[in-house]
Amino acid sequence: MNILSMSQTLFYLIEQQPNSEKAVTYLRQQADAFSSNPQVAVFYRVFTALPRFVGKQPVVVPADIQFALQRVRPGLTVQDWTLDRLARVWWLLQLPADDQITYVKTISELFKAGELNELVALYSALPVLAYPEAWKFQATEGIRNNIADVQSAIMLHNPYPADYFDEPAWNQLIMKAFFTDKDVTQIIGLNERNNARLAKTLTDFAAERRAAGRSLPAHMEELM
Amino acid sequence: MDFMDSIRGMSFFDMHVHMTSRTTDDYQAMADAGVVALIEPAFWLGQPRTGVDSFRDYFASLVGWERFRASQFGIRHYCTIGLNSKEANQEELAEQVMEILPLFIYKEGVVGVGEIGFDDQTPAEDKYYRAQLELAREAGLPVQIHTPHRDKKQGTSRSMDIAIEHGIDPGMVIVDHNNEETVREVLDRGFWAGFTIYPFTKMGNERMVEVVKQYGPERIMINSAADWGISDPLAVPKTAALMKQRGISDEAIKLVTFTNAVTAFAQSGQLSLEELTQPMGIDQSQRYNGSSVLRGGQAPRVDKDSTIIK
Repeated sequence: MNILSMSQTLFYLIEQQPNSEKAVTYLRQQADAFSSNPQVAVFYRVFTALPRFVGKQPVVVPADIQFALQRVRPGLTVQDWTLDRLARVWWLLQLPADDQITYVKTISELFKAGELNELVALYSALPVLAYPEAWKFQATEGIRNNIADVQSAIMLHNPYPADYFDEPAWNQLIMKAFFTDKDVTQIIGLNERNNARLAKTLTDFAAERRAAGRSLPAHMEELM
Repeated sequence: MDFMDSIRGMSFFDMHVHMTSRTTDDYQAMADAGVVALIEPAFWLGQPRTGVDSFRDYFASLVGWERFRASQFGIRHYCTIGLNSKEANQEELAEQVMEILPLFIYKEGVVGVGEIGFDDQTPAEDKYYRAQLELAREAGLPVQIHTPHRDKKQGTSRSMDIAIEHGIDPGMVIVDHNNEETVREVLDRGFWAGFTIYPFTKMGNERMVEVVKQYGPERIMINSAADWGISDPLAVPKTAALMKQRGISDEAIKLVTFTNAVTAFAQSGQLSLEELTQPMGIDQSQRYNGSSVLRGGQAPRVDKDSTIIK
């Protein structure tokens, strides 16, 4: 994926939002300041404080921009995002990516101190970050997270797991989605990544549910 | 009469409660009793921490996991972040904690720097109290002050003297754990006065009723400070019920159990009266995917009176 094209497309989308002039001005100023003097502390501060300046209204995604997003990063959708989430993902793309070790370390620190909405934005950003292979473990940590929104950010409408998870990690995602009452039809790659081992685990789980007198989650039988 | 009957329909804001140390039963009971929002100040966990990562994970839990846990019961969770006075005495560690505080105080839902102040009133406590006042001033955040148990009256005066010395507006400072001996000076000097209804060691709520009768409801707010000790997470609604029973007006009760705390901490820009009066499920700012909390995330209710567990 081309980071510059993604950054431009996301920024164009931000500009298209109603009453976003203040947000656009703020973000442009921050990006200019950061590119002329790329200090990590500034990068962190803008990422954290950003909702105060851009607000949280739901993002409206015109069809042509949705199409453009899909072309730059197949599978990516920003439907149902709020403006601060979109702007945070865009901001992450402003981090220079020329050195992998520095890049990965800088973003990993954000995960470590992340507040709820920051974590949602961080996991949403995985499909568009540089060095996609480097985020595999972090992505599985998102599945292990206990906060519903954070789980949803990595599990639902996110193309990263289907593209990069190995079979055990993928199967954990699906099982965890059932266990946490997610709408699994929103998982990208649900049918394409289905496999014999997962089907067997789901069959065992179905038997366990029946033994306990509990119903089966929706759409589970289709994968068995 | 059940105290719940007299306060039905009222909303409460417990501006000091350590939910990390409490169970889901408490969240459930608080929600049932009308607690719609709370502030969890960063504090000492009972077990001393030995490394900065323990602090980092604790602070992260206050803006992450605990906030989510509260939301499952329809309660809005805010916090204040700071290095507590007791642990300020481990200077080497305190230095490292001071370094990570700026990472957290600008986060969403952080409505102040707290709880900070004095425990033993040592030089180290003085040093980090001052450093954190500076941090709050730079960030434009309110300060939540823990006043000491020992040598309380003098420690409370000293905490206020130092805040003023650092150029902090008394209107930005909530002096907590007051009693009959400290309240007059706190109010006279223009600070907010928090009262903790906590059995055996802090305020009893009959005494609290008398304080409100004597001083009126302006700039006074109550909390439970429920934690890992013997304490009561329903202290705020129970005290509201007692105030009502003893003839304090509904408007005054609302001020000391809700509005004053909102007004004081809204100065952070991180909470507002408007936000608190919206139903949580449709609050876009909480971003629970519109209705997912109500649909999937809302905690199912266990029938406590039944011996059958399904």
